[in-house]
Amino acid sequence: MHELSIALEILDIVGKEAARHGAAVVRQVNLRVGDLSGVETESLAFSFDAVKSEKDLTRETVLAIERVPVKIRCAPCDGEFTGSGHMVICPICEGFDTELLQGDELEIEDIEID
Amino acid sequence: MTDKITLERKVLSRNDLLAASLRELFGGENVGVMNIVSSPGSGKTSLLEKTLGSLSETLSIGVIEGDIQTDNDARRIAATGVPVHQIQTGGACHLEAEMIRKALDNFNLNILDLLIIENVGNLVCPSAFDLGEGVRVSVISVTEGDDKPLKYPAMCRSSDVMVINKMDLLPHTDFDVDKVIYNAKSLNPEIRILKTSCRTGEGLDDWAVFIRDFVKRNKG
Repeated sequence: MHELSIALEILDIVGKEAARHGAAVVRQVNLRVGDLSGVETESLAFSFDAVKSEKDLTRETVLAIERVPVKIRCAPCDGEFTGSGHMVICPICEGFDTELLQGDELEIEDIEID
Repeated sequence: MTDKITLERKVLSRNDLLAASLRELFGGENVGVMNIVSSPGSGKTSLLEKTLGSLSETLSIGVIEGDIQTDNDARRIAATGVPVHQIQTGGACHLEAEMIRKALDNFNLNILDLLIIENVGNLVCPSAFDLGEGVRVSVISVTEGDDKPLKYPAMCRSSDVMVINKMDLLPHTDFDVDKVIYNAKSLNPEIRILKTSCRTGEGLDDWAVFIRDFVKRNKG
């Protein structure tokens, strides 16, 4: 829903980090997007491409998106499981006593600069 | 030569950043802020109409109403005697932190115990826009589907409370209350459930107690 705003924020973060390291160009941004993050990745990619040309630094930047599936830990079953869709109940015991281990990320893992 | 710089940096939208500063402001002023969301027609305004009158006898309350057009809802709230400001978005299907920031000019946060934000009727977009609230309440009515939480997982996950409203109409529908609760908890195990009817008064005491407890916890 607010993918354009997120794309702008990514450019802002990346621009500042690249400047800190004296980079001329940002080749790639590696982004992790969890399935629960609420971010529509195609829309984000589209928005990013639409705004990246505003600066020479990011004109050719590739936004590489790694999808992160839901992973939960169930205390009663003492195990870790991949969630189904957005559900965080245990697939084995169908209990609610679970802890979310991954799946709601929206973070820049790293950037590749020249 | 290409260098890889590790950041592991969370990305927050402009709205998230502004909402965080609003949250700080509300915290500093000790105002409890509630964001109420739902599909159009689930009964958000009615719930407020029925309970604000008595709550405002002991709590200082302000309401921000969000709609695309009209100030109908603000008029209904004004009739309860509680100060209210209507935001007419003109087209935006959700409220954003910036709109809330501007609307605060109409209130003296210093004297408020509770600020209620009634969002635009929409279960999709408001889920993505943090308004700096301390609690998010989503309302669903029994005339909707009991698979609603599954269809709108982001809203369910971001809500602290789900109010099941229009319980008086339950005999006329196929709505399965146990199923909707199960569906909601399968996405958000911590979600709290309330059942209400603005017609019969069912559950309105629990709703009022919930609000009072929230204000008390917020001040504590």
